Amino acid sequence: MNWNLEVGPFVIRLPVMDQDGDALYGLLKDPEVSAHIPKPPMYASVQSLDELRRASMKFQGREGACWLVECHSGDVDALAELLARVTLYNINWMLNSARLQWEISPAVDVAEFETIIGAIEAFCFNELGLHRLEVALVPGSARHEHFLAQLGYRHEGRLPAQLEFDGQWVNLDLYARLATDATVEAHV
Amino acid sequence: MKFTPTLTFEGGRIRPLEATDRDALLVVYQQPELPGQRPLEQPEQLDRMIELSVQMAATQRGMMWAIELGDDASGYQLLGMASAYDWQPSLLKVALRIDGLSALTMANRAAVLCSCIHFMAAKYHLRNFAYAWVQGQSDAIPAMLESIGFRASVIMRDGWRLGQHDYCEQTLYHRILATTDMDTATEANV
Repeated sequence: MNWNLEVGPFVIRLPVMDQDGDALYGLLKDPEVSAHIPKPPMYASVQSLDELRRASMKFQGREGACWLVECHSGDVDALAELLARVTLYNINWMLNSARLQWEISPAVDVAEFETIIGAIEAFCFNELGLHRLEVALVPGSARHEHFLAQLGYRHEGRLPAQLEFDGQWVNLDLYARLATDATVEAHV
Repeated sequence: MKFTPTLTFEGGRIRPLEATDRDALLVVYQQPELPGQRPLEQPEQLDRMIELSVQMAATQRGMMWAIELGDDASGYQLLGMASAYDWQPSLLKVALRIDGLSALTMANRAAVLCSCIHFMAAKYHLRNFAYAWVQGQSDAIPAMLESIGFRASVIMRDGWRLGQHDYCEQTLYHRILATTDMDTATEANV
């Protein structure tokens, strides 16, 4: 199975542990990129390397996957930058469900986001055979709520006290999209 | 070292699983409560589950209790099982589930859940307790959960799988305790 996807100018690929640490750190050091999850900002590239190592173990255990997104537009500077990291986690092969999470550059617009997530969704539904994809979001994350609405995700409720962050217990809004919600076209 | 304690409630007790519980548990799992679940055919699976219950409690991944009604004078009868699963010690949360025969009333189930919650809050400082009700299970379960402080938080479309391509709705209930005074399992105003 080929986990690397190409759609339009975007290359959506599995990370290469020894090479992607600095670029991932470049994306995740901005606290805004992860504020909707929520997650503390990174202070050193060793943290991103550690996350890549953990992601690799989860991928080997069929528990999850993460993709890095680049734009191959011909601009040399853009090549060195990551536009997003998209993570598939909590895969439950019995229930055919999983959660998606993204950390995405402020430069990505709605149309680009739909293209990127649409390709990953199609892979999850068509290739992995998943039936239900969930996204958990800090309430009030306006940009991401807008993204989810554009993608056709439905709000299913609010999970209380899911984690402690900055001394506060955080609720998370749960959104989901089913393979049967609408025809999912293969983007690859 | 025993990680799973015996706890009493009005009309009965919950206690750690033992190897000799296999036959009684087989009777319980001949009448599965969850839609899509088939009656258990291989009793050996229960031997593995009983062994696993010790490992899970020791590593704080889960906890399983046999539910018995009766008293010390007249003896006890095993009528079900209580499980704590998806235990996340660092996030102070866990999910609970009860499987039982019809003789195990909703009042018994509520008492069992309260015993589990009070123990796990006092011992492990857990504060977030979840219970998943699957469409097709007894309609009395949501009312029982609400009577002991659980509230419906999420309705998951196709959140439970019934067969190869069949799914049904699953509702998550939560009971959240206050972060302070966990020893007495005080309710939070959430």
